[in-house]
Amino acid sequence: MATTEETPTRKVQVKRFKPEEYPEKHYLNQEKGLWAWLTTVDHKKIGLMYLMSVAFFFLVGGVLALLLRTELLTPARNFMTADVYNQVFTLHGAIMIFFFLIPSVPAALGNFILPLQLGAKDVAFPRLNLASFYIYVIGALFTLTAIFTGGIDTGWTFYTPYSSTTGGSVAMMTLGIFILGFSSILTGLNFIVTIHKLRSPGITWNKLPLNLWGLYATSLIQILATPVLAITLLLLTMERVLGIGIFDPALGGDPVLYQHFFWFYSHPAVYIMIVPGFGIVSEIISTFSKKVIFGYWAIALSSLAIAFIGFLVWGHHMFTAGQSSLAAMVFSFLTFLVGIPTGIKIFNWLATMYKGSIDLKTPMIYMLIFLFLFTIGGFTGIMLGALSVDVHLHDTYYVVAHFHYVMMGGMVMAFLGGLHYWWPKMFGKMYNEFWAKISAGIIFIGFNMTFLPQFIMGSQGMPRRYYNYIDQFQAFHQFSTIGAYVMGVGFVIIAAYLLHSLLRGEKASSNPWGSRALEWQTSSPPDLHNFKHTPVIINGPYDYHKPMSEFQLGIATSHNGHGHHEEEGMDVAETEKEKA
Amino acid sequence: MSGTSATIEKRLDHLQHHFIDSDQQFESAKLGMWIFLATEILFFGGLFAAYIVYRSWYPELYIQASTELNTFWGAINTGVLIGSSLTVAMAIRSAQLNQIKGLIYNLYITIALAFVFMVIKYFEYAHKFHLGIYPGEYYTFEGIAHEKANIFFSIYYMMTGVHGLHVLIGIGLMIWLVYKAKKGAFHSGYYTPVEITGLYWHLVDIIWIFLFPLLYLID
Amino acid sequence: MSAHEHHISSAKFLWGVGIALFILTVLTVAVTWVQIPEPWNVVVAIAIAVVKATVVAAFFMNLFWDSKFNTMILIMSALFFMLLIGITLLDTLYRIDPVPSF
Repeated sequence: MATTEETPTRKVQVKRFKPEEYPEKHYLNQEKGLWAWLTTVDHKKIGLMYLMSVAFFFLVGGVLALLLRTELLTPARNFMTADVYNQVFTLHGAIMIFFFLIPSVPAALGNFILPLQLGAKDVAFPRLNLASFYIYVIGALFTLTAIFTGGIDTGWTFYTPYSSTTGGSVAMMTLGIFILGFSSILTGLNFIVTIHKLRSPGITWNKLPLNLWGLYATSLIQILATPVLAITLLLLTMERVLGIGIFDPALGGDPVLYQHFFWFYSHPAVYIMIVPGFGIVSEIISTFSKKVIFGYWAIALSSLAIAFIGFLVWGHHMFTAGQSSLAAMVFSFLTFLVGIPTGIKIFNWLATMYKGSIDLKTPMIYMLIFLFLFTIGGFTGIMLGALSVDVHLHDTYYVVAHFHYVMMGGMVMAFLGGLHYWWPKMFGKMYNEFWAKISAGIIFIGFNMTFLPQFIMGSQGMPRRYYNYIDQFQAFHQFSTIGAYVMGVGFVIIAAYLLHSLLRGEKASSNPWGSRALEWQTSSPPDLHNFKHTPVIINGPYDYHKPMSEFQLGIATSHNGHGHHEEEGMDVAETEKEKA
Repeated sequence: MSGTSATIEKRLDHLQHHFIDSDQQFESAKLGMWIFLATEILFFGGLFAAYIVYRSWYPELYIQASTELNTFWGAINTGVLIGSSLTVAMAIRSAQLNQIKGLIYNLYITIALAFVFMVIKYFEYAHKFHLGIYPGEYYTFEGIAHEKANIFFSIYYMMTGVHGLHVLIGIGLMIWLVYKAKKGAFHSGYYTPVEITGLYWHLVDIIWIFLFPLLYLID
Repeated sequence: MSAHEHHISSAKFLWGVGIALFILTVLTVAVTWVQIPEPWNVVVAIAIAVVKATVVAAFFMNLFWDSKFNTMILIMSALFFMLLIGITLLDTLYRIDPVPSF
């Protein structure tokens, strides 16, 4: 393919055009009807279907959380028996982790944005992408069946020997999650191949948006970790069905071995959950500081470092489980290491903001919230990684607060930021900025009300997953519950104005934020096939020091017809200057 | 590349719109399959990990229990799978050379060898069931003087069972390939499904290459 | 972009690889008749298996002539598998020591 780089002395005329504003025909109406949606191979529609699903499961998981918090208003039984309580927290955890957090950014936002940021027409395997979605749905159906046919109360971690010997629909649930794992693996596979093979000319690895570095690192984790969860759940199911005995001490097995296998996946899983969020943070902070990202390679490589080191630390979930002291010490040391690349990112983001031209739109507000809450979550993770401290804090509310700060205060805030950032691109509509900021504030306040007391409770000894508690903790629990309801209100407001935006929102221009990234150089919403011609990229996605006009796509006509036909156009991101 | 325009069109009708050319599509499919094989390696890896942990704890159990496994038939099965890897490589070679008859012929032999593998496995399992060597809590065999004997066999059944399932899936895939080949879907410009099924099949062979000494040949 | 040549092995070569694998299989069994002290007997068995697997991967799966990245994927998955086993063994082999003995 003839590119301007290969013939440096060739002058290319570029006729620039602005992307079509408020297009009549776009991906949402170019394929019509329910069947077209259900059988679509368009990554954008698949992304939206995932978005609706994860939003639904977030609602279900959130309602379960409110039920838990309401029960915990008093130490006595309020409206749930202890058995029901155990089922509710098991479901809250399993649904939030497997059905919301893990697919949320990669499958919902990632599917939509990844090909657009690469200048590609779709992901590498569009039909596999659709299959991933349906596998997710089938896994969800199995899990829902498990809930309604006996339920499970093992906790989302399914520890043996309880899970291998208790009644309830453990096998159905593990089967559902086993199936879901395939969805995660296939999405990761698709992303890796797309990023390797379908980059537009000019998108070298040093021009890859950091969002895609994040999705790439996440996909690597998905590929390597999820199969181990699959075999673990299969072994657990066989333990229940055939009584194999490798995890059951009554049969001479080792329950700690189950924990090793389980956490070998589940620790990297938390990085599957957060690393895409890190990618979004890089995009939004750079756009709304109008400044080139500080330390591009540091952020890019730190995603890979987190992915790798994240595989070495799983034993920090097992400090009190009975593993050898040698292993515990090694895991504790490695856990400290994994905080370093994350810390590098936080500093680089702050340095990006420094002396930038900060625009406090809603996505940026979510980023500020992210930086604050995730840092608290991250620090407390390191504290839990200290072996001697963890002996006291393991299985207390301190751990609960820690992971909610990183998962909710980190990941969900990043997800909301990304949702608000790319909303105009996905739907061609703007949302009400005033209510968006109000709800962000309400969520921030509600979140801290809910989880800050839990750090204190935990350090004073309140155990997690406990249905009742001693009187000294009641005030903390009540404050926490009120905070949960405040957060709920915030989310309801978000749903309301986003729905309003879809129905009656102001139309969005192609690039309302003035971003330099490639997805903003095409119309909002994009065409079904994303780009009419293959873009050729010359500038990086964070080059805010270059004027906006240099990022507009254009049609190039060259003087020699080498390599392309007369009528085939070539979009370039910049005029080629004549080289000596 | 000469030919009528109908031939050229047919040679390109597999090309999907988001790929620039056939080559990019082929290389992408191969990369995708290699990534999937990585997940298979980690999947079986969990089983090998369980094997290793228990062998380190109960080495004498493994030595004793392994005598119940028939080394001769295990070795035959190893040869059968290696042979099937050879024939599937020959099948791909036939496709590359546009010898569709050779492709179908080699696929048939691969399928046959895979069936032989499964039949031998069936007889092995049947013999064990006859002796009361069942997985897990159904184990009733008295011949091994070790109270953890059932754990070795549970691991044996899990590893060979999951492997056998993968062989069955491979047979299914290759039957589908024969069907498509007979309909003329493959030619030297497009044989991607054959290539990636071949990659899958070779991995199934590699897994057995490790299973055989670890299960059957413990001293 | 024209299609670059995909390496096509000759039939003789493929048969040669197959026969080499059969011979290695015979070796795998033969080696068990030689008394090798623990744990080296396991090391030898695994080493032969690794050689066989490498031969299959390089010459049947065409990694020898393929993009290096595909080989990287194979090596990385093997590496992570070894991490799973290695670090788990750090626990399971050292359970009885209350404090590490160094």
